[in-house]
Amino acid sequence: MRFERSECCRVAAILVCAFLVTGIAPAAAQDTNADAGYPTTGPLSGYMDFHFNKPDKQDGVLDFHRFVLLMSHSFSPRLRFVGELELEHAFVEGLEESGELELEQAYVDFLLSSGLNVRAGMVLVPIGIINERHEPPVYNGVERPFVDTVIIPSTWFEAGAGLHGTFAGNRLRYRAYVLAPLNALEFSADEGIRGGRQKGAEADVRNVAFAGRLEFRGVRGLTLGASAWSGESSFAAPRLDTGVRIGEVDARYRHDRLELRAQFANVTIGDTLRLNDAIGRLTGISPNIARGLRGFYTEAGYRIWNAGVSRDLVGFVRYENFDTQHRMAAGLLPLKQFDRDAVVVGATYYPDPDIAVKADYVWVRNQSGIVPTRRTLNIGLGWWF
Amino acid sequence: MKPLLIALVLLSNVVVHGSSAQPAATKVIEITAERFEFFPAEITIDQGEDVELRITSEDTVHGFRIVGGGVSVAVPKRGRGAAVAKFSATTPGRYRFECHRMCGAGHNFMRGTIIVRAQSTGAAAK
Repeated sequence: MRFERSECCRVAAILVCAFLVTGIAPAAAQDTNADAGYPTTGPLSGYMDFHFNKPDKQDGVLDFHRFVLLMSHSFSPRLRFVGELELEHAFVEGLEESGELELEQAYVDFLLSSGLNVRAGMVLVPIGIINERHEPPVYNGVERPFVDTVIIPSTWFEAGAGLHGTFAGNRLRYRAYVLAPLNALEFSADEGIRGGRQKGAEADVRNVAFAGRLEFRGVRGLTLGASAWSGESSFAAPRLDTGVRIGEVDARYRHDRLELRAQFANVTIGDTLRLNDAIGRLTGISPNIARGLRGFYTEAGYRIWNAGVSRDLVGFVRYENFDTQHRMAAGLLPLKQFDRDAVVVGATYYPDPDIAVKADYVWVRNQSGIVPTRRTLNIGLGWWF
Repeated sequence: MKPLLIALVLLSNVVVHGSSAQPAATKVIEITAERFEFFPAEITIDQGEDVELRITSEDTVHGFRIVGGGVSVAVPKRGRGAAVAKFSATTPGRYRFECHRMCGAGHNFMRGTIIVRAQSTGAAAK
């Protein structure tokens, strides 16, 4: 749904008013009896994400970005099913540009012991902060971090199986999965490996990929994580040797009103000279895929208003640096418009702990000298139930 | 006479027990719940101890269930108070606790352990 510029201000004003009303109503309702019996939920859980994006000098866009339903069933205390079905952009017409209906999770957990459990089916790749923790009230910003979009292609889900559990007095938690690999013929200069996700759709497993994550949770408020992914990704062009390796480290820390986050991710792709040549021969265009991608971000959030339910406001600022042309094969030049950094400043208001009303302003710069800085105003409403 | 003696013996027994058995102090343990973890996720107590678990959430509604321990409570959302559960450590062993209310993609990871040490082990440790 696109808007003329003159209509944008009106839409933004209406949205802001609606959000304020949403927030003020519970604040006024101090009668605790009104909360009796709440929250209630049916057999389904889920989350929704509704956005208004207004890039500078462009029309604003209203997008019902995500409509996600989670369902679960326990066959017994040790045998459990979890499923997550997501409708993106509200409408599916067969092409990703129009929307997607995705089975993001559908697995059975065989819970054997605290240290050793087995999971099989469609699983989330255990990498980074956001990929396994992406409910809207969990993170700041209307849109997910750029690093968690173009370096780590969240939401990244794949068919496979593996182990998970805790050890060292539950201070360390691990996941180790065997998954279907990426398809290197779908990589690109601007979005890196994102297009290569097979998404469990008749996924080719000529080779398999390995993914693992280790988290330390031994200090209150602190989570340290390290993830790795490795897989041969040239099954669609078997003469190539396109091994992909991803390394990632992250940290989250919360103390009183302060919350800090940081993440670093690095991707290497093998045999990119021949990969670019092969895709160029197939499509007539060299995709200029890099042999190295890199991204990192740091974020500081502060609970400005911390006076209980419905009086809950977090301000935040995030700096991101992400380059999908970080290292090139000999003979290829990087496209500098894809060496980007971003500053995101915004706020998240919680009329309820499960409802996040978000607003932020984003500056995305690049190193090209030709492509201008992109500025975007985002307003969002997300909720979990 | 004989019934009177029996009654006196029984009464003295009750008095002795009543005077020597101090009410055991309940140990309070604060637990924080948030997607997708409990902190602390491992709790060690001694056999015979009665504990009161006060669980608060940093985000959404969670569940707190001790598998096989007869405890199952809902943990209210952030800012809406704590769930209180009492647990008597009568039998030594490891008890798993877990969130039993779907709270997001990593819900099944949200588990922890209560270790009940046998009385002699606990005394030795002290």
